[in-house]
Formats: sequence, structure tokens, C-alpha cells
Amino acid sequence: MQALRQIGTLVRKDLELQFRSKETLVLIFVFSVLVVLIFAFAFGPIFPERAERGKLAASVLWTAFVFAGIIILNRSFVVERSDSALHGIRLTGVDASNLYLSKVVSNVVSLFLLEIVITPIALQFLDLLNVVPVGVLLKLLGVLSIGTLGFCAVGVLLAGMSTSTSGGESLLSVVLLPVVVPIIIGGAKCTVSLLVTGVVDNWFWLNLLIGCSLVFFASAYLLAGVVIEE
Amino acid sequence: MRLRASHLTKEFGHRAIVKDATFSVHPGEVVTIFGPNGAGKTTLIKILATLLKPTSGGLEIEGTDAISDFLDVRSALGVVIHEMLAYPAFTPYENLKFFGQMYGVKQLEDRATTLLAEVGLQRFAHEPLHIFSRGMTQRFMIARALLHHPSVLLFDEPFSGLDASAKQFVLRRVAGEQQNGKGIVITTHNTELGYLIGTRFFFMIDGKLEEVAQKDEITAETLLLMYEARLAL
Repeated sequence: MQALRQIGTLVRKDLELQFRSKETLVLIFVFSVLVVLIFAFAFGPIFPERAERGKLAASVLWTAFVFAGIIILNRSFVVERSDSALHGIRLTGVDASNLYLSKVVSNVVSLFLLEIVITPIALQFLDLLNVVPVGVLLKLLGVLSIGTLGFCAVGVLLAGMSTSTSGGESLLSVVLLPVVVPIIIGGAKCTVSLLVTGVVDNWFWLNLLIGCSLVFFASAYLLAGVVIEE
Repeated sequence: MRLRASHLTKEFGHRAIVKDATFSVHPGEVVTIFGPNGAGKTTLIKILATLLKPTSGGLEIEGTDAISDFLDVRSALGVVIHEMLAYPAFTPYENLKFFGQMYGVKQLEDRATTLLAEVGLQRFAHEPLHIFSRGMTQRFMIARALLHHPSVLLFDEPFSGLDASAKQFVLRRVAGEQQNGKGIVITTHNTELGYLIGTRFFFMIDGKLEEVAQKDEITAETLLLMYEARLAL
């Protein structure tokens, strides 16, 4: 019970800090919309084939979310490090794994909210919003949420390590992107499949996405104590 | 005994920053550690606060091994170091409420309001911390350190950057906590204030901790002379 109370308090604090920082919110939103616009105008504005549009939408969505996710992860640790607030939290006696869980939850919530906003905008720009049924859209959000969990599970761990070093904000992208390649590939393939055919037609990619997300989450949870306390 | 440090050593690479530090703190005792910049005082305080692991040596806080069971002893510690250990985007009240919830402090709203009044920040309770001056921030940090009724207080350079009235405030506050039976460790390079506040004195020079005297064994002038002589060696 005490652990749950502490995790709840930490998540509330993280979300309050993130939503209070208007400039970060604007930065992440504008960045994501820019990615959508650049892809839409580079490959458009007319896309005759739905299959072509589906592939492009998957690229746009995953590119936007991966890079916006890196900004969110970085910001979430920069506020902890700037005045050593993280030491303040450690001094309360909270277990490192609970601290890790709270960071994963708050980052997943933030990134997933962005995905809920950006996905319809991207589909609209690529002439897909009117042809994709609501059921498929919900399945797409399901795929994105699994990918977001895996991305944040390993991202929180690496952001915790990289932001404690000099130049850590740029270091995160270098160390995180190679690790999350299986999640990006699995997620992108499932997204293409959903947007083109309306179903996930090859279960290998969904299994890869779910499997990698769970393995990343479990491994990062076990390593959290070492990273936070050392 | 509130705190017992035995043969604490901390090395970064091949350089020893804290060398074989051994001392203890009893209830109602204020241990003052004098030392110049770079002597290893901050590193020692961070080890005592369980924020840094020593390379070797032992540390007991309230009878518990603080090296292996650090999670169990942290709630017994009130810590003031150079960093704020809080969120500048939050107000003092929001910070106290957040940290109080993490510590599980009872009647938290009353406790936060009372503490902020005691440290003279009631007028600024709902202003964000990032607009605070050094002295106001120091007052907040003391409130945060006392929030959960810790039995051991660790203050690293509590007088640095403070004006005369803020220094008096720190002196009064520490004296009050000493009377409440807390064990207190303070590091400073200010011998005048350090003498006023302390009950037992140590020098820390180049990472080595040396016990000097109890307060009733030495005058402020003698302490200053000894400190200057020790620095000149």
C-alpha cells in the first residue's frame, strides 16, 4: 500500500511538472506536427494508393513519436537533476524500483496523450482519417500504447543514466535508438498492416513488439536500483 | 547514539577525498567540522546522508547499518546541502506537501503551514521557489529538512551566502533542534559561527578528520588560532 501511495504521489508530481512547463508542451507538439507536415509535403500532397498512404503514415507516426519521446524522457530527468530533486526523493526512503515505475507510468501517459492528439492529425494530412474505421483506429492506439510502454521502459533507464553525464541530453538518442530498434520495427510493421488491411496480418511483428516491450520492461525494472543508487 | 562513522574512506579514481573518518554523534550534540574549500566536507556529508557510498568503512544511524540498509535509515535524516533537493517550479508549500506525502507525514497541511511560518516564509508560501533569494532558499531547505521530524540533521555550509539575520535564524533553529535531542553535524569554514553553534569540534584538512575539543575545553579565540595554525601547516 505504501509503495502504491508513493508511486501515485510521484506520478502526480511528474505530470504536474510536465503540464506546468508550457514551453516543453509547445515544443513537443510543434515538433510532432512539423514531422507530419514535412513527410506529408515531401511525399504528397496527392497519394493515389491506400497502401502507399498506409506505409507513409506508419513512418510519419513512429518517427514523430520516437523523437518526441526522447524529448519527453530527457525533460523528465532534467527537472530531477537540475536542483538535485532526485536526491531529495531518494532521501525519503523510496525504493528505486518504485521510483522507476513512477517514471515509466508518467512518461507513458505523456507520450500516449501526444499520440492520441497527433495520430488523427497525421491521418488527416495523409487522407486516411476518413477511410480508417474507428475500430482500426482503436487497434492502432493499442499498438502504439504497447510500443510506448517498451520505448519508455528502456528509455527511462537510459535517460536516468545519460542525464547524469555531461552532454547527456544528446547522448540519450545515441544510446536509446539502437536499443529500441526491434520495438520501432515491430510497431511500424503492425501500423502499416492495420492502416492498409485493417488487421494485423502477420503476428510475428506483433509478437516481436509485445515480447520486446515486456523483456525491456522486466530487465529495466531489475536494473533500476543499480542505476538510481549508484 | 544517533550516528557512528567508523573509518569512512571515499576515493574517486586513485584520489582519496575522505580518509579514514571516525566519529560519533550523541543525542543533543552538535558536531561542527571546520575545513577549507576542497577538504572533503561535502563528500563526507553526502556519505553520512547515504547519497554516496563510501569506498570503505562503516556507518550506523540510530543503530542501523546505513551502508547495507540505507533505505531504512533515510527517513531519520534531515539534510541541507548546497543543492536545493526540491523542485524550483513548485512553491515551498507544494514542495513540502509532495515530500511530506512521500515521507508519510501525518497532518501534513498543518505541518507544512507551521514550518513555513517558523522559517519566516509564510508570505511566500505560494510563490515558486525559482524566484527565491539564496537566504530564502536556505530557509526553505531547513523547513524541508525538518518536515518529517528526523533525529539526525546534516547541514553542509549552512551559513554560506546568508545575511546577518538569516545566519541568526540558522543559529536559533539549530539550538532549538539540539534541545529536542537531535544529533546534528554541521560543516563550515566560519570558525566564529561554527563555535557558537557547536558542542564538539573537528578539523577536516585534505580529507583527514581530526577531533579538536569539546566546547567547554576551548575558547573561540583558541579554536581560531588552532585552525589557522593547522591550515598553515
